[in-house]
Amino acid sequence: MLVLVIGDFHIPYRSHGLPKRFKNLLVPGRIQHILSTGNLCNKETFDYLKTLANDVHVVRGDFDDNIEFPEQKIVTVGQFRIGLTHGHQIVPWGDKESLTMLQRQLDVDVLITGHTHQFEVFEEDNKFFINPGSATGAFSPLKHSSTPSFVLMDIQTSTITIYIYRIIDNDLKVEKMEYSKK
Amino acid sequence: MEKYKARLEEIKSILNQDSIDVNKLRKLSSFSCPNEGGLRSLIWKILLNYLPSDRKKWPELLKRRRNEYRDFVRDMIIRPGYKENENCELDHPLNSNPSSEWSSYFKDNEVLVQIDKDVRRLCPDLFFFQKPTEFPCEEIKNAADAERYQSLRKRVATTQLKADEVCKNRLGITNFKSDPKKFKEEQNEYSYLPIGQEAHWEIVERILFIYAKLNPGCSYVQGMNEVVGPIYFIFANDPDIEWRRHAEADCFFCFNNLMGLEGVRENFELVLDNTQLGIASNMKKLYDMVKANDVAVYNVLEKQSLKPEFFAFRWITLLLSQEFKLPEVISLWDVLFSDSKTLDFLIHVCCAMILIQRDQLLSGDFSSNIKTLQNYPNNVDIMHIVDKAKHLRKK
Repeated sequence: MLVLVIGDFHIPYRSHGLPKRFKNLLVPGRIQHILSTGNLCNKETFDYLKTLANDVHVVRGDFDDNIEFPEQKIVTVGQFRIGLTHGHQIVPWGDKESLTMLQRQLDVDVLITGHTHQFEVFEEDNKFFINPGSATGAFSPLKHSSTPSFVLMDIQTSTITIYIYRIIDNDLKVEKMEYSKK
Repeated sequence: MEKYKARLEEIKSILNQDSIDVNKLRKLSSFSCPNEGGLRSLIWKILLNYLPSDRKKWPELLKRRRNEYRDFVRDMIIRPGYKENENCELDHPLNSNPSSEWSSYFKDNEVLVQIDKDVRRLCPDLFFFQKPTEFPCEEIKNAADAERYQSLRKRVATTQLKADEVCKNRLGITNFKSDPKKFKEEQNEYSYLPIGQEAHWEIVERILFIYAKLNPGCSYVQGMNEVVGPIYFIFANDPDIEWRRHAEADCFFCFNNLMGLEGVRENFELVLDNTQLGIASNMKKLYDMVKANDVAVYNVLEKQSLKPEFFAFRWITLLLSQEFKLPEVISLWDVLFSDSKTLDFLIHVCCAMILIQRDQLLSGDFSSNIKTLQNYPNNVDIMHIVDKAKHLRKK
């Protein structure tokens, strides 16, 4: 099952849109589910995600117009529990200890957060932490500019294969990682 | 009854010989085959050129064919990313390169969606296809292989993930709130079987999918499911467990042979529609035959501009499998398969069907006639139609 993890678009305030290379990659009919870390920020971006997949889950970022989005969400895929939150509530932002604390609180196998605009994936105590970074490469309070990136998870019975898409120096880079639950 | 028994004995004695006299068998089974002791399933395999006339060759050939089929399954049902990869460039799900495994995977899915929709409603009046099979595909049954081989139904199923919202109330108590409207348990309409089990329709799905992959020119066309259905039904109900175990592989090759018979597959091919081989010429043949045998009926059809496309299209491409109840279809197919020119005889049968409704057609108007032909009345005995068709052919 393919699940797209994407977020921190900041359209139209900090970026005018997704990079063209990403737009060419993301075609309808391939992805079944989308988990978004929020900060889309407008409705058009949400509608765009809806065209890619039928099942879209969004949590609310600090710049989202839509107040209907929940702050935190827990999604179950097979035997994986996946926690989803934007991450501005976790202080210090992107801190490992704070993230693991939230992971324990929600009792999830995979915790997905955003906000730092810095792609990061790490495994701690056989739990998995994903930060897909910013899809548009928008700036953040701590950084002038960031690398556009998103993550695609291929979820199987007991393993998740993670594909990382980044644009570095106008070049698309794809990497692959694996996580298995013990 | 006496006659039937005598025929049964004769067929049995033919089948028991080391070298089967196929011509004699064809002749005998052209009055519909007996179903006792899985005879029909065996006879069909012979008539569809799957089993050679030399009995001694059977074990070896069956073994080879079944292994071949298993290899097809292993080759084609595999999830992307598990095949040995020679080129070191990383393949990823969003790859649009045509040579990428993932991109062909998604391309296959387009065909598969169609197959999936059609096989789910295969013979809806029969419970058989919804039942779990005794022999699910080994690759899918084994949990160890589950990562590599994914059942086809799951591959195209659209699902909603189960999602809970986490909310904290003013007392600091955290609750999970799930939205019941958004998440519906997988609907019970086609209640799903537990992991490791497969329904019969899933097997038919696999047969069609592999056929589509192996015949990219023709791929899958709606209606093929109706052609495999009865064959699989017969094979999977064989009283002999060994035959039943391999019903899937045997059915695949028989279906393949049936489509390979002169003119059967061409009916399905869009590009050939208006050529000598395609469906259009067969429909014309049918109308010419009606004209030659009964001008009055032909004139009515012409006058009311009842085009053969309205009904004969389905009759011919699906070998009449939709016009009658399954038992009748099966005995009709006995006759069709036993004929050396299946398609030619099929057209005679269609012609006989029209002529039998002569009185109806002559008195009816367009709407009642089209109703008669599209929902063929079920008060006509199938054997009567076959006799008439044979008679027409002799003329």
